Amino acid sequence: MNLAKTPRFKAGLLSSLVPFGFNVERWGYVIHRVTGVILIGYLAAHLFETFQLSMGQTAWLGTMAALHSLGPLEMVGLWLVAGSALYHGANGIRLILNEMFGMLMGKPIMPVYPYSPTSLGRNQKIAVWMITAVVLALWLWAGLYLLAGLGVV
Amino acid sequence: MVEVIDHDVVIVGSGLAGLRTAVEVMSAQLGKTPSLALVSKLALMRSHSVAAEGGTAAVLYPEEGDSLELHAWDTIKGSDFLADQDAVWKFVTLCPEEMRQLERWGMPWSRKEDGRIAQRPFGGHSFDRATYAQDKVGFFEMRTLYDKLQEFDGWSRFEETFVTSLVIEGGAFKGCTAIDMKNGRFVYLRARACVIATGGAGQLWKFTATSVSTTGDGIGLAYRAGIPIEDMEFMQFHPTGLIPTGILITEGARGEGGHLLNSKGERFMERYAPSKMELSPRDVVSRSIMKEIAEGRGFKDEDSGLSYVRLDLRHLGREKIDSKLPFIKELSMKFVGLDPVSDPIPIKPTAHYTMGGVPVDGNGRVLDESSREVKGLWAAGETACVSIHGANRLGSNSTAECLVYGRLVGRDVVKFLTTKQEDPSGTASPDVAREETRVFDGLLRNERSEEDVYAIKARLKEVMDRSVYVFREGAGLADAVKEVRALKERFKGVKANDGGRQFNYNLQDVLEVGAMLELAEVVAQGALNRTESRGGHSRLDYPKRDDANWLKHTLARRTENGPQFSFSPVRITMWKPVERKY
Amino acid sequence: MDKMTLEVLRTGGRKARYELKYRKGMTVLDALVEVREKQDPSLAYRHSCRMGICGSCGMNIQGTPRLACQTQVSSLGKETIKVEPLHGMHVIRDLVVDIDPFLAMHTVVRPYLVRRDLNERDRSDREYRVLSEEVARFLQFDYCIMCGLCYSACPTVALDPDYLGPQAIAQAYRYMADPRDEGWKERVDLLDSAHGVWRCHVAGSCSFVCPKDVDPAKAIQMARVEVLKRRVLRKMARAGSPLVSVAPSGVPKQGTKAPPFDFPREEAK
Repeated sequence: MNLAKTPRFKAGLLSSLVPFGFNVERWGYVIHRVTGVILIGYLAAHLFETFQLSMGQTAWLGTMAALHSLGPLEMVGLWLVAGSALYHGANGIRLILNEMFGMLMGKPIMPVYPYSPTSLGRNQKIAVWMITAVVLALWLWAGLYLLAGLGVV
Repeated sequence: MVEVIDHDVVIVGSGLAGLRTAVEVMSAQLGKTPSLALVSKLALMRSHSVAAEGGTAAVLYPEEGDSLELHAWDTIKGSDFLADQDAVWKFVTLCPEEMRQLERWGMPWSRKEDGRIAQRPFGGHSFDRATYAQDKVGFFEMRTLYDKLQEFDGWSRFEETFVTSLVIEGGAFKGCTAIDMKNGRFVYLRARACVIATGGAGQLWKFTATSVSTTGDGIGLAYRAGIPIEDMEFMQFHPTGLIPTGILITEGARGEGGHLLNSKGERFMERYAPSKMELSPRDVVSRSIMKEIAEGRGFKDEDSGLSYVRLDLRHLGREKIDSKLPFIKELSMKFVGLDPVSDPIPIKPTAHYTMGGVPVDGNGRVLDESSREVKGLWAAGETACVSIHGANRLGSNSTAECLVYGRLVGRDVVKFLTTKQEDPSGTASPDVAREETRVFDGLLRNERSEEDVYAIKARLKEVMDRSVYVFREGAGLADAVKEVRALKERFKGVKANDGGRQFNYNLQDVLEVGAMLELAEVVAQGALNRTESRGGHSRLDYPKRDDANWLKHTLARRTENGPQFSFSPVRITMWKPVERKY
Repeated sequence: MDKMTLEVLRTGGRKARYELKYRKGMTVLDALVEVREKQDPSLAYRHSCRMGICGSCGMNIQGTPRLACQTQVSSLGKETIKVEPLHGMHVIRDLVVDIDPFLAMHTVVRPYLVRRDLNERDRSDREYRVLSEEVARFLQFDYCIMCGLCYSACPTVALDPDYLGPQAIAQAYRYMADPRDEGWKERVDLLDSAHGVWRCHVAGSCSFVCPKDVDPAKAIQMARVEVLKRRVLRKMARAGSPLVSVAPSGVPKQGTKAPPFDFPREEAK
């Protein structure tokens, strides 16, 4: 019986992105990964788009037309990118504090029942919810501008 | 098809004694490192030793008033004078080294103000000599030894490998047959030396502090191989087992100042042991609790029907409980929903430690019925009966015994390996084929299948709880013997489920219950024979200790018609027996 | 509630449903034992101590890795309890998973006290003096029962089977933070590697599921800070502490010529 040949149970990319049944920081991890992918995709698309400037006026106008042909999706897409950048940046700062400086983790303690790990304790939660509040506020505010022309706002 | 695997040493059981022996064997300064097979029916760190809570006894500070003589005296008096006194002396002299050696290997002992290892009071000891690590001493000792073992190469793990029999030929150990649970294969582990360290047999009882895995496998292996087992009627019932599961609440709770209260709110220990009160030896406290319950001063739990008394820790205060007794706070809150800081905990005596076991000499070598060594076979820890604990074990002496004997046996095995040995290779003995037939054809493919092994196990535990508990008497014991024999007959009609070779736990359960029934017969019959009360064996019909007739060890050898009993003398070298009062 | 259903994912992907009578105080392990003893003896799962100290009974209950012996059925708030084997591991049979890769990671980080002078390490006549504050720096991480729940919960382990895992890194830190240890060099290469501390993204699920509050997420970040300070800032060990990131407690500098017995302070009188 060769275990190495059989796949691990519920391992892999999709499983790592399942936040159900876990802590709020796990949700943060999932959204950080997803927004990271969105930002990389946006970076590539943006570089491609801007590069068209050097390909002559026809190419540039053609790109702009293609973009505008998306209709409302263009602004909504930009809004999502804006949200991704806001979240990824703010959460990223929290992660830098955690990982590079060991902050918000708490000190080693003697576990006392009922258990509450200090790394998921008060300071960490304050940071998480502050980030959520600030990001949501700024994102909605950005929406006011980006989605103005759609007649939604 | 049997796979034969050769090693120099096989250690069966990976608790404290097994791991300590393994570390000693692997650290040996021999030219060539011995090849070691560490066999366990669980993963190595899952052994029941991790549940030990209170402490490990050792004379660390003779300059503060402790002494080896005092430790030896406490142990011998605690054993109700059935302990072999020369063995006890050797044991107490080696304990302090073990504590300090473990510390050097990383053990996180609790410390005094100045950084030295701390100790606390414990039942039956006249000095505070229980070395503790919060209240998880067994767990931390296991972690330290397991981690230390990771340093060595050249040893094989045989985890989840269930040993089914020992092959002994011509008075010498040859090998063990085992089932590799991961793939259901039958293997023959051949070796020059074998150490049995599988723990006790607490699971014979229903209300027990022991793990589900503590089914007396090693003792059963020796018994079935024709080796007589010693003093099996002496079972320790730890006074404070949580209702309704039997989970252990450490003696350290009483050591830190906890009180035992009956339904009237009295500290009833005053009536039974006025000088030591709650810190008397465990058999004294257990008997006191059972008496209080029998005389109507206990409580009754509606859901489980069990009677209990209360352990009160409220006066210790939150800080002391959180720092010195955090694990029992966790157990109490998790399993009963009570916080010891504000509520007393419901407890009752629970089956805890097997004083008896495989008879060994001072170096841990197993002895056969003529007191001759079985060549190449050792036993250590709770499985062995040296006997250091006699009729009753003092708290914190067992973890110490496992470590001391782990080392002694390890050294002895290494010495044995350096002597010239005959080449063990060649065909496996016919015993191996016979064992394979017994297990696979006899149990998996038994024609008769009208009996349910779990019903038999449940009935056995009920019988033992009812008749072979703290207080025993002749009629109840005779009943128990009859019932156990009837259950043995019924067991012949048990068939193991054949639904897959890998991790066939049902087959393992069947093998375990088979051994449990044999041991239960020895315990019940031995208790019936012994017409006196001594230590953990209390008879209502013979309430006094009878040194004239019964100052001897019981030996039980397996025959077709049940156990055959003989006796061996107690080695008294230091103190003559006196009345045991606390 | 007087009835409950246990839905167990058996080998081959089949979901077996078992109906049981609910008893007050029942744990998921109690339910599994009842199933094996009274309904289906072929159900395979590990268990031993039933008190949350041996770590055998780890399994995925209602989507979260838990120890079955200390999960009260009533705390889950449902009548049907879904039980699966631990995620992220190979399944051998029913709820029994292969924990060998997990145990191997632990062995790889050298989880034992490393000391240069072996004679001094194996002495047994005098202990090292260690103050309670110093024990407190690593004690929390020593509570690990090796149950594998953190390893199963970690999203990085799900993606990268060569990642050391929260348990191994926490144990490496436990020994690094022990004032008696001199094994920094041995462990740093392993931690500062492609599959070492840098793979952690602080999802925190390991600390969330740990049944003993070992808080491996904290240990990993503390180990990370140590590695950073040593490798990036080139800080050397300060007086009195094997750790450069934790304040010393007035203990003589590690590595100085200690008395022939009893590192690192004066002999125990």
